[in-house]
Amino acid sequence: MHNMLMGPLWGIVTIAILVGAVTLGCFVAMFKFLIRPGEHDPHHPKYDILRPDR
Amino acid sequence: MAVTVQDLSRTGPTPIRGEQDDHELSSIFKAYTVSATFWLIFGTAVGLLLAFKFGAPDFWAGKYLTFGRLRPIHTNDVFYGWASIALVGTAYYVTVRSCGTKLYSTALAWAGLWLFNIAAIAGTIALDLGYNWGDLEYREWPWPIRLVFLAALIVTVWNILATIARRESQDIYLSNWYIVGGLLWTCIICLVAVLPWYQYGLGQVTISGYFMHNAVGMWFTPLALGLFYYAIPKVLNRPIYSYALGVLAFWTNLVFYPMLGAHHFLFSPLPWWLQTTAIICSVGMLVPVLGGGANYLLTMRGRYHGRIESYPLAFLFVGVLCYVFGSMQGTVEALRSLQAIWHFTSFTVGHSHFTMYGFVTFAAWGGIYALLPLATGKRPGQLGMAVHFWLATTGVAIYVISLSIGGTIQGLDWVHGKPFIQSVVDMEPYYLWRGVGGILMFLSHLVFVWNVWRMTAGKPGDAPSPIMQSEEAGA
Repeated sequence: MHNMLMGPLWGIVTIAILVGAVTLGCFVAMFKFLIRPGEHDPHHPKYDILRPDR
Repeated sequence: MAVTVQDLSRTGPTPIRGEQDDHELSSIFKAYTVSATFWLIFGTAVGLLLAFKFGAPDFWAGKYLTFGRLRPIHTNDVFYGWASIALVGTAYYVTVRSCGTKLYSTALAWAGLWLFNIAAIAGTIALDLGYNWGDLEYREWPWPIRLVFLAALIVTVWNILATIARRESQDIYLSNWYIVGGLLWTCIICLVAVLPWYQYGLGQVTISGYFMHNAVGMWFTPLALGLFYYAIPKVLNRPIYSYALGVLAFWTNLVFYPMLGAHHFLFSPLPWWLQTTAIICSVGMLVPVLGGGANYLLTMRGRYHGRIESYPLAFLFVGVLCYVFGSMQGTVEALRSLQAIWHFTSFTVGHSHFTMYGFVTFAAWGGIYALLPLATGKRPGQLGMAVHFWLATTGVAIYVISLSIGGTIQGLDWVHGKPFIQSVVDMEPYYLWRGVGGILMFLSHLVFVWNVWRMTAGKPGDAPSPIMQSEEAGA
């Protein structure tokens, strides 16, 4: 879809590369933590909230 | 190394609270929930009236009941009355319990509740009298009233931060990152929205996009996600699948979300690079959404039966699903080719209910059903929760599906150059189904009132403990 306000092509390409690289890095990190969550140490904070409230 | 329940009993700080502290926290949680429930009933009654005004525009068409006045009353009251107060109430409970300490100041918590309510009451009256800030969505309240809301936020974040500062553990639990983040970000967002000197021309358009989207994504979303990170593990008696993934989702939400607002103004005179950045960041939001959603669902893995037996978990489960699919729908809507069809149609109304109702409201209900009985020692009835769940789930499904189909037809009519009135005629059956869905949703809210009564002041019900048996105990 063409628009007269499209702006300079290299500006669009630069934005796409920069933000795209950050996005890609985040996706890689996301899959890393999904595949290997780790955190088996019983002193990890995620286990603390399971204690009885009283 | 696997972690057992026996290990857990040895970990964590020793609670230093007393009976009086627990009683005060319970009173605050109850008051926030009851107050929020009032705004839920009022705000959605107005919403239901609005839904039927599409079919019968002349019904109750007096000056104070026109669509233009009632529509912002509905949106602002469910945003700042219902969802804000409900989520802040649960946030107080989550912060105090996860920090293993007592609330910093009971007086500040009560002051915050009064300020939230004063803002909502004054805002409702102002809007109904015709004092509207104009075409600035979700900030239609006159600016002095929005300052009262900002004061409520500041009081709350001060109280929460001071409570976290006196925690016994070294770490700050993940939920508190989201809660504090949401409160601080929203203070900034409200401040930006009220400062006057760039609120004209394209600057006003940019700020409008910034505020309207971040009021959802940097306020309700982090508070609801923070609630998920506490309530889901608590109910399941099982830790969150990946804590690190929750941290990644927190930071990526902060990286991508603040730049989304301009996707509400694609094809507008806003700079094209800003629109493009908004679209790319909308795609980037798939990281916290998919990562966060997978984290919650993997925490629930293997406990499918629990979602049928435990209604708190069922509410949280639907909330997670609507978070994932509603947010992905938002990403798709941000693409230029699709927004050319869907923008300005009822599809976006369906999307906002998919997220604000299916995600945020179900998260608040799940959190209240999971945690309020722990605070008060009173449980709702199992039948009451079941009726609430199925009415609300069926209602929102009918609402969202009908508006999504109808909105698409509406958009295609406009793209094909058909007369505007043709799109109105084509929408007629979908407006009817929207009303049917709205009735079911509203009926579910009345049942919720009954359930809140039983969890606070009334006779307790027969529902089982919201905390399920641990796997070791069940084996």
